[in-house]
Amino acid sequence: MRMSRILAITSAVALMAGNAIAQEETLKIGALVTLSGAGASWGQGMLRAAELAAEDVNENGGLEVGGTNYKVEVIPYDDSYKANEAVTAANRLVFEEKVKYIIGTVGSAPILAIQPITEENGVITMTLGFTAQALSPEKPYTFRPNPTTAEVAQPQIDWIVANQGIKTVGALFPKDETGEAIAEDVAAAYSAAGAELAAVEFFERDRVDFIPLLTRIVAQGVDAIELDGNSPVTAGQIVQQARDIGFEGVIVRTGGPATQEIVNVAGNAATEGMFVHSAFDPGVEKAAAYEARYVETYGETMNGFSPFFYDGTKMLFAAMQEAGTVEDTEAVKTALEGLTDYEGVLGTMNWTGEEPYGIAHQLDSPFYIARVEDGAEVIVARCTTTGCE
Amino acid sequence: MSFLIAQSIINGVILGTLYLMMAIGFTLAFGVMRIVNFAHGEFYMIGAFLALIGVNWLGLPFPLALALTAALAILLGALVERIVFRPFRADELSGMIASLGLAMILQHAALIIFGPDPQSFPALVSGVYRLGDLIVPQSRALTLGVGVVILLAFYVFLMHTRMGRALRALVQDQEVAAIYGVRLEIMYPLGLGLGVALAAVAGGLMAPLFGVSPFIGATPLLKAFIVVILGGLGSIPGAALAAILLGLIESLTSSFVSASAADIVTFALVVVVLLIRPAGLLGRGEA
Repeated sequence: MRMSRILAITSAVALMAGNAIAQEETLKIGALVTLSGAGASWGQGMLRAAELAAEDVNENGGLEVGGTNYKVEVIPYDDSYKANEAVTAANRLVFEEKVKYIIGTVGSAPILAIQPITEENGVITMTLGFTAQALSPEKPYTFRPNPTTAEVAQPQIDWIVANQGIKTVGALFPKDETGEAIAEDVAAAYSAAGAELAAVEFFERDRVDFIPLLTRIVAQGVDAIELDGNSPVTAGQIVQQARDIGFEGVIVRTGGPATQEIVNVAGNAATEGMFVHSAFDPGVEKAAAYEARYVETYGETMNGFSPFFYDGTKMLFAAMQEAGTVEDTEAVKTALEGLTDYEGVLGTMNWTGEEPYGIAHQLDSPFYIARVEDGAEVIVARCTTTGCE
Repeated sequence: MSFLIAQSIINGVILGTLYLMMAIGFTLAFGVMRIVNFAHGEFYMIGAFLALIGVNWLGLPFPLALALTAALAILLGALVERIVFRPFRADELSGMIASLGLAMILQHAALIIFGPDPQSFPALVSGVYRLGDLIVPQSRALTLGVGVVILLAFYVFLMHTRMGRALRALVQDQEVAAIYGVRLEIMYPLGLGLGVALAAVAGGLMAPLFGVSPFIGATPLLKAFIVVILGGLGSIPGAALAAILLGLIESLTSSFVSASAADIVTFALVVVVLLIRPAGLLGRGEA
């Protein structure tokens, strides 16, 4: 009699505890990004985007999916922009932390290295990696919320070549998957625009002294230097050192937003008149509000990629709610693909990429060409994938 | 073509001087302490941040900021000797591992304090000196000039002062030096302190050229390592020769072949020197 009473009470307590857990569960999201080394400012921007998106839902009592409230927890891992470290981190995230969603990676080599793990286990990834190989019909769980060189290069380069009368261009790229992919895209884009990528140099990613390489490029008399494909810090060093050796031509940054970091490294004087890609129009109210929130929360300037990953993470949450599950990633993936005209902080978002990649997992968003004046971007042209004006 | 050769030689000599400042501190710390200090690059980074704090936050003029950086770095080096390296004085392997740990602690502390983003360092001078077609960036000429002055001052200190003699005696033979009255309790911290200060001043000097972030220490450490292996661990003239050689090789191969070729040639040279003269170009062999 006494025994059964104890049993009854214990099971009642256990049931109640079980109930409490059922009402508020934790949804773990991995952030496998670069937090140390040259790509760290991109990685921080992505991690913080995920954190801010998580903060949004947690403040409203959690993410409600299929009648359960989930508290979102972001688990950061650093890959140092290296494929082998990304694989180690992906193994831990997928098999030990049991995450089903990963924001990352920053680099192209890391995303290609972890896809065998994530695709096999149905883990949805949101990568920044610029390589065309990151998206394909064989890799249905990978999405890319930011436009890459392939999307933005042509319209932007057409406009700059026409407006600045550029005939020959020099460029330096890091010697890896990312750099070589971008070098091909950029060379094709310049030749389609009627100019020539005449002097190309490849270098190891940890290099800081570019004067020997720039001496050679400048000696070939190029009209412009293209910075695409380089991390923000490296791009800043190239700008500064090119001006140091007396290069007076145009400096162009197609691709990834990095203006603030470039100006930080090279200074206002060296960057004056530089043409940059910008994903961000401070005139758009929601975008400016996101930037203000980022600066207020972290006390640092915002990396330009951050808003894409904020929108991307929010779309992921929306897809989970749509699918009514956090466990069945196939359903979440299908719901994510089905999101159209999503209103993010950067504007109206849709999926594209069916033609170049064979799968529409590339987010399409407006972008801009800006001229750097006194260390700040001034927008000079507005672009879509079809052209700039 | 001759223009490009002359320009590459100028670039190479400037680069070599920058490497030399890193390498001398590194080789001094080894000569005195018998410790391969893997944290040397992090002291370069700390020097860059100290100069940045002095110039950007406190509004000090650059020379004063650099002098304060050097003074603080000597203190820091002495402190590190006392706390971290003293227990491993007779134990090269443990000392090396301790220095690796120290490097990680310093780098990540900087990451926590300053964040990963590069910090802007105002350019001290801008523009170029032109000699006919040849171009010398003023910023690099300034760094070169200050670097040479510091190296000369250090040379005079080492060769013509009592303390400098004591340090050299320690490098040659610690026991005999101690018997002759060299006070180890002062000279060990001083030796490491000076080595650290050279790295820190190099960091401060190069901050306007290469920028400041918690990760800038790795490349100079690698270059110092190559210079010291080529020149002979513990040999200062060897380091000078190797640093200029390395600067010229990097500059000429990068300008005429490719950046990757420069790395291949450099490391091939290291392998060849290690095979033919394991003690380095001007090294004395294991004492």
